[in-house]
Amino acid sequence: MIAILKNRHVRDTSFQAGFVGALIILIVALVVTGKSNLEAQGLTSGFDFLERSTGWRISFSLIDYTTSSPYWLALVVGLLNSVFLGAISLSFATFIGVAVGVMRTSGNGMAELIGTTFVEIFRNVPLILQLLFWYSLLLSLPSPRDAEPILGAFAFTGRGIYIPGLNITGLSFFLIVLALVAGASVSLWLSTADRFKAASVAVRRKWKFYAWIVTAIVVIATIWWGRLPETAFFSIPEHRGLNYREGIRVSPELFACIIAISIYGAAYIAEIIRSGFNAIPAGQGEAGHALGLSRWQIFTRIRLPLAIRIVMPTLINQYVWLFKATTIGIAISFTDFFMVVSTAINQSGQTLELIAILMGGFLIINYSIAWVLNRVNDAIKLKGTQLRI
Amino acid sequence: MSEHAILIRNMNKYYGSFHVLKNINLEVKRGERIVICGPSGSGKSTLIRCINRLEEHQSGDIEVMGTMLDENVDHIDEIRREAGMVFQNFNLFPHMTILENCTLAPILVRKIDRVEAEKTAMEYLARVKIPEQANKYPGELSGGQQQRVAIARALCMNPELMLFDEPTSALDPEMISEVLDVMVGLAEDGMTMVCVTHEMGFARQVADRVVFMADGQVIEQGEPETFFENPQNDRTKTFLSQVLGH
Amino acid sequence: MSISNSVSHDGMRTSMFGAIRKKYFATRTDIIVSSVLAVAVVWLLVNVIDWAFVNAVFGAGKREECLAAEGACWSVIASRWRIVLFGLYPFEEQWRSGVACLIMVIVAVLSCVPYFWNAKRLTVLWLSGFGIFYVLMRGGFLGLTPVFEQNWGGLALTVFIFAAVCILGMPLAIVFALLRRSELPWISRTMGLIIDTIRSLPLLTIMFTFAIVSPFVLPDWAIGDKLYRVIVGYAIFFACYQAEIIRGGIQALPAGQEEAAKALGMGYWHRVGYIVLPQAFRNALPPTINQIVITFKETSLVTIIGFFDVMASGRAASGNAEWSFAHVEVYFFVALIFFVFVFSLSRYGAYLERRLGVGRR
Repeated sequence: MIAILKNRHVRDTSFQAGFVGALIILIVALVVTGKSNLEAQGLTSGFDFLERSTGWRISFSLIDYTTSSPYWLALVVGLLNSVFLGAISLSFATFIGVAVGVMRTSGNGMAELIGTTFVEIFRNVPLILQLLFWYSLLLSLPSPRDAEPILGAFAFTGRGIYIPGLNITGLSFFLIVLALVAGASVSLWLSTADRFKAASVAVRRKWKFYAWIVTAIVVIATIWWGRLPETAFFSIPEHRGLNYREGIRVSPELFACIIAISIYGAAYIAEIIRSGFNAIPAGQGEAGHALGLSRWQIFTRIRLPLAIRIVMPTLINQYVWLFKATTIGIAISFTDFFMVVSTAINQSGQTLELIAILMGGFLIINYSIAWVLNRVNDAIKLKGTQLRI
Repeated sequence: MSEHAILIRNMNKYYGSFHVLKNINLEVKRGERIVICGPSGSGKSTLIRCINRLEEHQSGDIEVMGTMLDENVDHIDEIRREAGMVFQNFNLFPHMTILENCTLAPILVRKIDRVEAEKTAMEYLARVKIPEQANKYPGELSGGQQQRVAIARALCMNPELMLFDEPTSALDPEMISEVLDVMVGLAEDGMTMVCVTHEMGFARQVADRVVFMADGQVIEQGEPETFFENPQNDRTKTFLSQVLGH
Repeated sequence: MSISNSVSHDGMRTSMFGAIRKKYFATRTDIIVSSVLAVAVVWLLVNVIDWAFVNAVFGAGKREECLAAEGACWSVIASRWRIVLFGLYPFEEQWRSGVACLIMVIVAVLSCVPYFWNAKRLTVLWLSGFGIFYVLMRGGFLGLTPVFEQNWGGLALTVFIFAAVCILGMPLAIVFALLRRSELPWISRTMGLIIDTIRSLPLLTIMFTFAIVSPFVLPDWAIGDKLYRVIVGYAIFFACYQAEIIRGGIQALPAGQEEAAKALGMGYWHRVGYIVLPQAFRNALPPTINQIVITFKETSLVTIIGFFDVMASGRAASGNAEWSFAHVEVYFFVALIFFVFVFSLSRYGAYLERRLGVGRR
């Protein structure tokens, strides 16, 4: 008997079984306690509440939503808002971050100084503090009555930023952006993917042209289909009396979130890019010089591509982390996914189900981001095992 | 007390589907010194690592100092206590001093009191001729010195049997002899030793038996004189001509 | 963009003027870029200095002057700093709050001294520091009047949450990392799933879940105070991130180390405690410090759950009718507090990275 207990296989199997078993017991215990507590309070459980209408408003929505819309639609609105905010902020953060990262490795003393100051200031202060700061700054802009338009078309007021734009539904705008991104990705893929290298340049150019034609058709169709009825095609903010009419209003909440997350993300991305540049051996640039390439060519064709490949895994982690940061919108009542879920919990009391939906939503989005970017990483990473870099 | 230090019968080992050790039969009596040699990939390191369960064998028996090597954790622990091992890459613990390297296992495993463990450690360090380095860190010693510390560290556990896995292969040529001298000294003191090495001079001087392995099998074994002067098997002849030729 | 800054064409030592010229004005593009940026920076600096110093009002209680002035109203800090640092802690006892925070600062500083880089000493240091902190804040012993957790606030609450999360989270991280590295496939894969799932979730949702949702699924005796629930949730989140960092440190260890320990007859716990973990932590020290820094910053999120941490106390400081115009100044003050802590810790982390990266085998 003792011999069996001392047997390594027996021990290993029992440890594993014990571990998994304990976890299962824990989960079951939580679920059972939860159910009994809910019943004791007279709350129903289950997902039927998703069909009920909400009865409350959502301040920012890309699709049609009214107070009589069902809960599931409210959740979709929140999810779309988070994705929308995330996409815009991550893009800006990347642009600014790459620019600052390049500044910090440029060799120009002034640019390096500014870059370093930018990174140190915005990395060392919590995001929520930055968000509140930008929000209060935006709220203290002059009211629409007093604000003068810049360049005749842009107005920065305390009630929001008014910009000119197309009169189309928010969803159409989202789809157009998606189409443009898809078109650009297909074009990039055609130029760089290994499987197309065999084809001649002319053939690839033809295919890229087709891709852009398809994209243009999709964009135009979306604009046509998404036009808001009985409105002019293009709307420009006009100062009329106490307020601005026409134009697209970007609410201070949304704008503050975009600014805060973009800048905070840019500070982190700049550091990552900088470490990527620093990891490139000096010999690469020397070889470029020896071949007679100009400094700009060395930068764009040798150093920048290498830096991106080196830091891609770290960047992927950073993007996932930044997307999670969009939940900060709740601090200023921007209706992102988290805020919608917490309002729904307040209003309907279906806490457990909504938390499960919340977690599920974030898991799906984060895994998707990681999956897509990991595919990109695999496609572009340096291959082979004999690399001397 | 069994007469045999190591008894291996019909032992087979696989890495997945790759048959790396084929039907090994080997006996090592107490006090015997065995040298195992062979071309790279022959499985000699794998064989010696199976003896103290750093690798697992799939079929056959291995018996060390009378204890059967099987899934019983007490058996494995006992074998590891009684068999000392010296590695090709020394594997000294870099965050501890030389003295701490030597006293760690005796204190934790054999539950020896610290003062006594340090005394034993200093004795063995003197025996490998570097007592003055006791309070230095491994990174501050040369390769030859580190390997001698590794031998002393294994000896501090007072093992019945010492296993050497290519102990001089990672050393610069001028340091090989200082390590081999220590090993010769150990042999002369009667320690049972199983040594995987390419140092044929050492084999001639010290070994009671030389075992030649190739492709996972024991091809030939014999006393050094017969082995080196009169190898029977063709493969042995080829190997010896390559190794001794230059 | 220059490949290297220090290519000197003739090898002569450069004078200071030459050095400045090379750094800022080396090529034509550099001259343009430097000049444009310099102008922008000077314009920005002039405006900021103007607002923050020249036209600003210092000294306590000068509300009317502040309203009249164009510059910053630092008066709000002078008048309201106690709320920001101590929250609603009773006035006469606030010295206790201050001393407690100071103790934690000392603990953090001492942790950076190599003498304490030893599991036993670190544990003793943090546990005793935290114990003193708790006794001072809570009172009820040694003749100190009791002050309950609801009245803790401001910087002291932030520090308390941060320290509690680290003390709870670090041992948990070690356990998670060891489970994740287990040779038993069910254990390592399940742990991997748990860690990846928790890391995919935003910290805010985890805090929210533990604060508001967990009372539903816990038996009555386990519910506890909201503050401690949030600390547990944050500690689990911290542990998942830290576990991955530790695992990276373990993976950087040569396999021979564990083999040598096995060959010497050392059992699992001896191996892990004496050989694997000490070396893994040395490897993982810079990312660990980075993680601790981020944890301190993210503590500010508890203000959303309704805790009166330093963010909330900052808003309260400028939240009354008297000082409501001066919220930007208060934000600067709170930002400065964070900046000082976070900047020094991350500088130290960078210094450690350089020091440990060189020459350590």
